[in-house]
Amino acid sequence: MKCRRCKVPAEVALPSHNTAFCRDCFLVYFSRQVENAVRRHAMFTRKDRVLVALSGGKDSLSLMLQLSDLGFDVTGLHVDLGIPKSSESARAKVEGFCADRGLKLQVKELAAEGLAIPLVKAAVHRPVCSICGKIKRHFFNKVALEGGFTALATGHNLDDEVARLFANTLRWDQGYLGDQGPCLPDESGFARKVKPLYRLSEFETAAFAFLRGIEHHKDACPYSPGASFTGHKRLWNDLEWKSPGSKVSFYEGFLERGRPAFAAQERESGFTLTPCAKCGSPTSQELCGVCRVRLAVEAFGKG
Amino acid sequence: MITVRMEPGGEVKTFAQLNTVQQLLNRLGLRHTEALVIRGGRLLTQDLKLESDDALTVRVVVSAG
Ligand code: SF4
Ligand SMILES: [Zn+2]
Ligand SMILES: [Zn+2]
Repeated sequence: MKCRRCKVPAEVALPSHNTAFCRDCFLVYFSRQVENAVRRHAMFTRKDRVLVALSGGKDSLSLMLQLSDLGFDVTGLHVDLGIPKSSESARAKVEGFCADRGLKLQVKELAAEGLAIPLVKAAVHRPVCSICGKIKRHFFNKVALEGGFTALATGHNLDDEVARLFANTLRWDQGYLGDQGPCLPDESGFARKVKPLYRLSEFETAAFAFLRGIEHHKDACPYSPGASFTGHKRLWNDLEWKSPGSKVSFYEGFLERGRPAFAAQERESGFTLTPCAKCGSPTSQELCGVCRVRLAVEAFGKG
Repeated sequence: MITVRMEPGGEVKTFAQLNTVQQLLNRLGLRHTEALVIRGGRLLTQDLKLESDDALTVRVVVSAG
């Protein structure tokens, strides 16, 4: 297989684009995909300070490196979940990555907040992943707002976005459908949320990470249920295989024709958010979800 | 003998007879957009021939949500 642009042997074949690239041309393609996404959705400019959520996985580290290469002012934020072994290894990957490349990094330790995930798991009788996700998003938002960042960037790729949109569609979850996209504006206590990798597949971000020599965290979290998302991803890979381009057209079609309708409906019927009585984070109840988890953990500690 | 190290997990598999990357992926039940096939610091496209003493890494890229 030859590179479409320069005809040397290809390293990355992309059936969705009916093409293949050598290493250098793939990296040019990747960079353009990110730059176009940022510009087309007015995510941020080179004047903005951008906070990048770094889990230690291939997507977030690739995003950080690409944005930095494009000349954007990026700072990484790693939330240390306090899970034995797994969190230590993820944090070491993030710290090593940022130190080697001279990138700015902040670390938020959940243990210092009294919210280490193993403790939360023991104290709260709900699936730990939904709470873990809530806690991470809470601190991403808090650090972004308090640090005066214009945007909070996450490494969600096309496969993540399609799997999530598909799950929301299967449930016709109006609230989520009105509120999913690569660029969500800052409003009512939330920082602007952006996903500059949303046009790139999981395969493409993995290839980028490999070709750029990124040492990323590869082991699954011990609490990972092997979520149904993975099942949906499989389904979508089948569809994409039979009909290349399905993922992009499903997602872009939604952004253009689906989301506006759901968003309009949400504006009429959606509930309003007010600041949490304890911490000020936006919530539809008196206390935000994280403060309620905190209460449960404190009660658990008292036995 | 072709040796394949699987990621994540680190399991090592060996194959006596394989001609191409495509055949390897078929045996593993993977599509070529679901895994990186790595040999000596390079990525291999599915059409490439394998040598009988190749040591490869197959990095599955599909992650949980
Ligand atoms: S799999 Fe682990 S890190 Fe991911 S949400 Fe669940 S508990 Fe948190
Ligand atoms: Zn080329
Ligand atoms: Zn609160």
